[in-house]
Amino acid sequence: MSFLPDFTHRRPLALEEALNLVSADDMPYAGGTELLLAMKAGLLRPNSLVDLKHLPELREITVDGDDLIIGAAVTHQIVAGSHTVRDSVPILAEVAAQVGNPRVRSVGTLGGNLCFAEPRSDIATVLIALDAVVCLLSARGERELSVAEFIVGPYTTVREGDEILTAIRVQIVPGRLVVYEQFKTLERPTVGVAAVGLDDRSVRVVVGAVGSVVEQFEGPRHDIDPAQIAQHVEVIADLGGSERYKRHLTEVSIRRALERIEATR
Amino acid sequence: MNGPGIGGAGSRASRVDARAKVTGEAHYAVDSSVEGMLHGHVVRSTRAHATIEHVDTAEALASSGVVAVLTGADLQGLFPRFGHIIADRPILAIDRVRYYGEPIALVLGDTAHQAADGAELVTIRYRDLPTVIDTEQALAEGAPILHDEDYRLGDATFEEAQSQSSIGNIAHEVTLEWGDANEALAASPLIVETTTHYPMLYAYAMEPYNALATFDEDGLEVVSTAQHPFQVREDLARIFSLPLNRVRVQSPLLGGGYGSKSYTKVEPLAAIGAWACGRPVKVALDIEGAIHTTRADSAVVSARSGFDLEGRLLVRIFDITMNTGAYADNGPLVLAKAVNRCFGPYRVPSLRVIGRSIYTNTVPSSSYRGFGAPQGNLTGELNMDQAAAQLDIDPGEIRRRNLVPQGESHIPGKRGMDADLVADLDILLQKIEWNSELPAHHGIGFGCSASDAGAFPVSTAMVRLLADGSVLVLTGSTEMGQGSRTVLGQIAATELDIPVQRVRVIQSDTASTPYERTTGASRTTTLTGLAVQRACRDLLSKLEEMGAEAMGCELAEVKSAEGAVVGPERSIDFGTVVHSWFGGRQGEVIGWGVVRRAGELEALPPFWEIGMTGVQVSVDPATGVVSVEHLVTVGDIGFAINPALVEGQDLGAATQGLGAALLEELVYDGPQLLNPNLVEYRVPRATDTPRRIDSVLAERRDGIGPYGAKGAGEGSVNPMGAAVAAAVWRAVGVWPDRLPLTPDRVWELMNPPDNG
Amino acid sequence: MSTTWLSAVVNGRKIRHLVATRSTLAEFLRTDLGLTGTKVSCELQVCGVCTVLVDGVPVSSCTYLAVDIDGRDVLTIEGMANGEQLHEIQQAFIDHFALQCGFCTPGFVMMTKALLDQIANPSRGDVEKFLEGNICRCTGYAPIVDAILEIGSKLHEETAS
Repeated sequence: MSFLPDFTHRRPLALEEALNLVSADDMPYAGGTELLLAMKAGLLRPNSLVDLKHLPELREITVDGDDLIIGAAVTHQIVAGSHTVRDSVPILAEVAAQVGNPRVRSVGTLGGNLCFAEPRSDIATVLIALDAVVCLLSARGERELSVAEFIVGPYTTVREGDEILTAIRVQIVPGRLVVYEQFKTLERPTVGVAAVGLDDRSVRVVVGAVGSVVEQFEGPRHDIDPAQIAQHVEVIADLGGSERYKRHLTEVSIRRALERIEATR
Repeated sequence: MNGPGIGGAGSRASRVDARAKVTGEAHYAVDSSVEGMLHGHVVRSTRAHATIEHVDTAEALASSGVVAVLTGADLQGLFPRFGHIIADRPILAIDRVRYYGEPIALVLGDTAHQAADGAELVTIRYRDLPTVIDTEQALAEGAPILHDEDYRLGDATFEEAQSQSSIGNIAHEVTLEWGDANEALAASPLIVETTTHYPMLYAYAMEPYNALATFDEDGLEVVSTAQHPFQVREDLARIFSLPLNRVRVQSPLLGGGYGSKSYTKVEPLAAIGAWACGRPVKVALDIEGAIHTTRADSAVVSARSGFDLEGRLLVRIFDITMNTGAYADNGPLVLAKAVNRCFGPYRVPSLRVIGRSIYTNTVPSSSYRGFGAPQGNLTGELNMDQAAAQLDIDPGEIRRRNLVPQGESHIPGKRGMDADLVADLDILLQKIEWNSELPAHHGIGFGCSASDAGAFPVSTAMVRLLADGSVLVLTGSTEMGQGSRTVLGQIAATELDIPVQRVRVIQSDTASTPYERTTGASRTTTLTGLAVQRACRDLLSKLEEMGAEAMGCELAEVKSAEGAVVGPERSIDFGTVVHSWFGGRQGEVIGWGVVRRAGELEALPPFWEIGMTGVQVSVDPATGVVSVEHLVTVGDIGFAINPALVEGQDLGAATQGLGAALLEELVYDGPQLLNPNLVEYRVPRATDTPRRIDSVLAERRDGIGPYGAKGAGEGSVNPMGAAVAAAVWRAVGVWPDRLPLTPDRVWELMNPPDNG
Repeated sequence: MSTTWLSAVVNGRKIRHLVATRSTLAEFLRTDLGLTGTKVSCELQVCGVCTVLVDGVPVSSCTYLAVDIDGRDVLTIEGMANGEQLHEIQQAFIDHFALQCGFCTPGFVMMTKALLDQIANPSRGDVEKFLEGNICRCTGYAPIVDAILEIGSKLHEETAS
């Protein structure tokens, strides 16, 4: 067996308490599906883990005006099955239903997924396409950033050690066309492309999983050239394929995503 | 399903271990623990090839709960290595490490956490040596030599793997030839050349290697994941200079084996811990540790075959190079078998096969289902398909023209073919719908193989008839999922003509079950089954004598039937026979069965294990993804003692074959493995299941085993790679030359880069 | 070394235990409670042999803190049978030969319970997808899927009638 290092465990029952406990060495967690693996691998050795699962504010899904607000400690499984999410931002429910496997979905959370910033996260790619925003709270105050500003590199976010990601906010745009096209044969996707039909003839294309960060492209439909984007994104060759192959898959995925958008328009 | 009174040979009797397995009561070696035991955590090399300058254990020793830290220097007085063919493998590295991941130290702690924490504090200073990762590097001029000693044990039972002293990094070399290959090739109207690369694989038995050892004045006791407890006993006896009767090795149920748990693995580690500390020691590896203990041989196999214009083979010349890693383990035998199996079950007038097993600074390779057959078969069968294409002969027809007829030897000196291969092929082609019209990007492929399986025929069994008429069958074989515990009971029940529920099979304890050489090579039903049959017949003859005496009649007047001795006037059930003999409800009668290489078992192999598999695939040209639309396996097993278990083995083997064909490969990145884990080493999952599966059994009672049985369990993996590769060729029009045919590889095959 | 008290219900029994905080649920079940039916293999959440249900939800106990079951209800393979009476999932696995070495079996049984609790009569596609995180190296999956489809359709008939 591989083992977790020693650490102490804290279970705050109120947000205020949690804020006083969290620091760079006292890491917040909910599901731990990625954090615990990093600890077993010896990559992280926090002094303590602060359990966020008992903070009711972090486990709610609400609609506030035109925003869907998902508490950071809501599991992928709950997002996938939530009527509120399905009615307001259905793509999010669709993608949450595909994360990992059913056990990872039952335990892993949206907030945890974003904070761990695995470079191939489907959730991150789609949230960036939706212009989603994360809410960060600390004893020093609150701030909000777009997900694209929040995740700055592989496994790297701008969350300060004393900050807790409390919620993800997505604007509800009735009739907004969003598709996610994913190619996955291994545990994690080789390429994931989210496409959003913006106003009449514009699209946003968000390419994830092939490089170290998500890349975005936006413009009039006729200006979006899948082949060109595929040639320009950062592509990391690995067990999923050569650079050449991955660029090809990226192009195919972008094309398919755009076709699906056009078909629904 | 079956009720009382049935369940004998030929029936789909429920597995006797199924209930325990579905309730979680089943006990595996990893579930073992004893009071006061220490946990051993292995510290592994982070160099592929280096001398060890210093191992600093002071900090680890000072760590809470750490009782001892052992290194190669602490093995004075012991024989510090193991290995049943070539005893080249140090228990803990001595002076030098030869692969990334090689065990260097063992930290013993009161708890598993403490041992693991202590292990992090061991520091090692290395002096790097040049490294060879692939066979080309290992054979190059000036390559570092991995082994300068000759460790040969000279055990006659591994006669096929007796080697000459190594030249450079050649661990073992085997040549097989007859006729005049060069002349025949020169005279061949058509010569077809094929070279393929077979990937480095990991068997992935889901329970990783583990062992619990106890050492006291009586001797050494080990509970482990060993498929062959009697072989492990040999290594342990040699290490500690103990007589065999002072070493006990027990294997409970195994959480998978597939050959990868053949022979000694972590037992010596646990044993030296127990020896040094005077307390029981458990060493339980995680998957990464298991991957760094044993893998399967990768190979490059080249063939040149000469054909006449009707597609008949005139000559086959094969060159096999296997990458056997840093230590030999069972590599030499895998090579020897690869040599025998690569040219297929065909009449080959002239043959030359040269096989070499090469040491490299990688994880040692050893047995894995198929055992050299898949590696060679990939080349051999693609070569046949390529010849068929060039001659415009149907690929099925070209096989028919070459398949060795039943009864004929296709390897001089070996047992004649005990299977009707043409009939098997006809079944296969019919089931896979060979002649159907397929849509674009679909293709059908198939392969044929015959393996000289069964290993060596040495097997014993004991059957004990107890005073209440219930029966114990004792056998040294192991249960790793293949169903031996069930099948051997069914054979005993059939021989004794009693319900299978009255029989209990006890296995794999060198102190209390009689000798079984190995559990593997698809041999248990056939060879251990014969031993059980013979033990039952011995038992029956004794019971008949006792029964005759009890009834006051002549021996010639009695016979056994339905669990009783039947005389002219009455019958006495077996239990009552025992009462009469011993005077009351006490005592027991024991039957003894022995199998050795004599009589009908003189000819080797004891049986031929046939592989006849076919697939229909579809390829997505945009992504290169290969989907298996249809899988057909034909199990030519003589007689299925339990058809459900044979079908399970055929599908399981085929699935591992599909894994190698489409998904699995251990990849080295410089000195270390890139993917020693189950996230990046991709094994088949439920979503990879073929859309249609047909498992057919051909039962012609033509085997040497009980009721005409032959072995099963590996046949369906052997031709799988070639079947898939040929199917992909037919689907996309390009010949693959290596496995696995992952989506990226298939796409690159279909879309070669423009050159200039 | 940090320790923490936990109180939970495991297989219907209330337990209160002092655990090493760093223990995973799998370690706690196997070593502290002696419930060795739950197995450990890949340790990366992708093989499923360690599956148990926590408040009815399937989790990878190898990557789940023991302390996180505090106040919760845990069901392991040992809690599936009702005394001598096997759960129908267990019986179906036996009847369909949906196991060989059996090491993956407890995980598959627990996962099947979670599936059937969610989807009473799953299709073959539903079953295969739900089980994509459970590896079996022995059977080739088809008998496992068949076993589950049989229970699903039986349950469906029962509710329909």
